[in-house]
Amino acid sequence: MMTHSEAEILLHSYFEGTTSLEEETRLREYFRAGNVRADLAELDPLFAYWDEAANIVATPVKKTAKRRRLPLRWLSAAAAAVLLLFAAGNWFNQQPGLTDFPIAQAVSETKAKTIDWSKYEVTDPEEAYKVLRNALGTASAEMNRSARITVKEISAARNALR
Amino acid sequence: MNRANTAFILDHYTHIITSVRDRLYRLALRVVNDADDAEDVVQDVLVKSWRQREKIVCLDNPPAWLMRMTKHQAIDRLRSAKVRSARETEAAAPDRDACTPYRIAAANDALGHVHRLLQQLPPDQRMVLHLREVEGMEYQEIADTTELSMQQVKTYLHRGRQKLRALLLKEKITNP
Repeated sequence: MMTHSEAEILLHSYFEGTTSLEEETRLREYFRAGNVRADLAELDPLFAYWDEAANIVATPVKKTAKRRRLPLRWLSAAAAAVLLLFAAGNWFNQQPGLTDFPIAQAVSETKAKTIDWSKYEVTDPEEAYKVLRNALGTASAEMNRSARITVKEISAARNALR
Repeated sequence: MNRANTAFILDHYTHIITSVRDRLYRLALRVVNDADDAEDVVQDVLVKSWRQREKIVCLDNPPAWLMRMTKHQAIDRLRSAKVRSARETEAAAPDRDACTPYRIAAANDALGHVHRLLQQLPPDQRMVLHLREVEGMEYQEIADTTELSMQQVKTYLHRGRQKLRALLLKEKITNP
């Protein structure tokens, strides 16, 4: 433990700027111990201040939650499946469908002009009702089918994202 | 560059930054005297140092390099803050960081007085005093960090201590 007179001598060197780091540490310990001679006590706040300043630390870095990585492989597979579905749908739509009506493109324009379309006109209300019901039934079935496809695709995408 | 080398650089760089971050913050705080600004300064330094991590890990004394960078960044910040405050009105509250340890220390009567007295010293003297008294750095390290000569470092340290003591005695501050 440093004596008061040793501290006084070291303080003189300290203010002359000639103390070593080790001597300065001893001086600091002298003041930290609290048993400071009355005439040196006026320097107490100075050393207390340096101690306080040395304890300041930067705000700890907040660890951010690990970013969830997107399952790119699964997403690619799902996207490819959706694309295939669309392509297949388009292909089927482009196929000439069976129809009860003559194909306009298959006949020459002159012949087409001669077709009497009035004979295909539905005149019977009962038959008209049947035709309408069939048309609405087909539309309804197609709409339900597309909804099912959409639901299926969404659940496939959701599974892929899990 | 192979993967092992990249991992080594990253590991070494992280270690350097972890060991020096608090010192950078305290130095920045000493210069800018504001906790938020000091945090920003350190952040800027870390971003810049990350871009040069390959160079930093090869240096003889990476902490000194980072401290020097922090000093420059803090001085730039201080200058821009002075320009800004000259333009702005004085409507803003002066004490935005009342809860930081730095301000708590400053709020303590005796320590607060010392803090205010220290602010009266020229920036270079203040910085040299800080590096010696708070960081416990050797004269050569201080010279490397501040880009002053050894003689200047010793002179600033001597003058700074003398001035602080004179101010303390003048105001008759005692620790409660």
